[in-house]
Amino acid sequence: MNFTCHDRERIFLDGSAEEWVELEQHAATCTPCAEELRAWKQLSAAAAELRDYREVPALWARIESSLREQQVAPAAHRSFWHSFDLWARISHTWQMALVGAMIVLLATSGGYLYTHRRVATQDAGNKLLKSGALAEVERTERDYMSAIDKLATDAGPQLNADTPLMASYREKLLTLDSAIADLRAQAGENPSNAHLRYQLLAMYEEKQQTLQDVLETKR
Amino acid sequence: MGSVGLTLPWEHRISRSAHTGEQRVESSEERAETGRLTSAEPQDSEIAGACLRGNLQGYEQLYHWQGRRMTNLARNLLGSQPDAEDAVQETFLKIQRSIASFRGQSSFVTWSFRILVNTCHDLRRARVRRKDHASEDVESLLPGNVPRARVAHPSLRMALERALERLTTHQRDVFLLYEVEGFRHAEIAGMLEISETASKNTLFQAKKNLRALLEPPRSAGTGGAL
Repeated sequence: MNFTCHDRERIFLDGSAEEWVELEQHAATCTPCAEELRAWKQLSAAAAELRDYREVPALWARIESSLREQQVAPAAHRSFWHSFDLWARISHTWQMALVGAMIVLLATSGGYLYTHRRVATQDAGNKLLKSGALAEVERTERDYMSAIDKLATDAGPQLNADTPLMASYREKLLTLDSAIADLRAQAGENPSNAHLRYQLLAMYEEKQQTLQDVLETKR
Repeated sequence: MGSVGLTLPWEHRISRSAHTGEQRVESSEERAETGRLTSAEPQDSEIAGACLRGNLQGYEQLYHWQGRRMTNLARNLLGSQPDAEDAVQETFLKIQRSIASFRGQSSFVTWSFRILVNTCHDLRRARVRRKDHASEDVESLLPGNVPRARVAHPSLRMALERALERLTTHQRDVFLLYEVEGFRHAEIAGMLEISETASKNTLFQAKKNLRALLEPPRSAGTGGAL
């Protein structure tokens, strides 16, 4: 290879071992390249100033304690948002896409609340659902479950894809299922509890929206 | 371009990664340090397996193997020792919460560092928001007055930290992961979800920018940070 000064930056970027040797040899007789090479190496060497691998006393004890605490905490009692830690690991592009999906979700929720406000206002001052309202809530729940079953079937192949985004969706759906199971168990003991039923509806709605989002990614 | 005029007390040399052919500038001192951190490495997959089974010893092994490196990276990303410790702790909690989603597509260490980097970004964003609300001086966000271990060139370290703050987030991440923590481009690509080529390009741009930031003005002749 006929080495010239023009090759220098390409080697800095992605040169092979042999090319680096050539650059070194060339720099021995070329002052500009020698200066550049020295500066480039010194920057790498200066990075060592940012290394401080001291042991941090008690940090592991602190971490271990919090891990134990989290391990014994029942899943249902964990913070809902903590289950979305995959959020932190996905790229900004996907984060933006998910933010967009959340906006759609909020708009859908707003629409739902508007169209179903009669049930809400009817019982706003009453923490126990009356038989008519209870029947309506149960019908809405059944509608959601039916829609969710259909969506889950459609989204199945998409969800099984081995991508970070789908892993995130799977984790979210697992969390939602866990929350729904918990709420259903509680609602079973106290079916007229308006707060529980509305929470359950919100969970169904979230799950439906999540499955719709999964299907949207296919398009 | 002028010389980056610093005489460093290391015996510099270019080393070659046996696996990738990547070129790296290291000092003998650094190589010894890296050796201490990586000697008697436990099996990455064994640690992942232990964590998957909910065995806290797996997390302890991960901490003793990579904890200092994780804390160092977090400190450089956040500019604060207490924040770095919080970030490492939060990272371990996130690992525990999402271990079921670890599919082994990358090494467990790579996966853990990806979580750490993102946790640090979240903390930085949260801190900027808090500072914005409090109308405090943005300069106070920058590292500089952080108690650190004694280093050979404290002024160089501070200059480098301040210059790093002026890089893009990706450039800073790649520079710290490659040049400070010694990860390979393939590993960095896995952590930052970019291609290996993008990692190389980003490092190249980061170093060019750092040079420009640290180099004395041409007209001033000598006497810059580097």
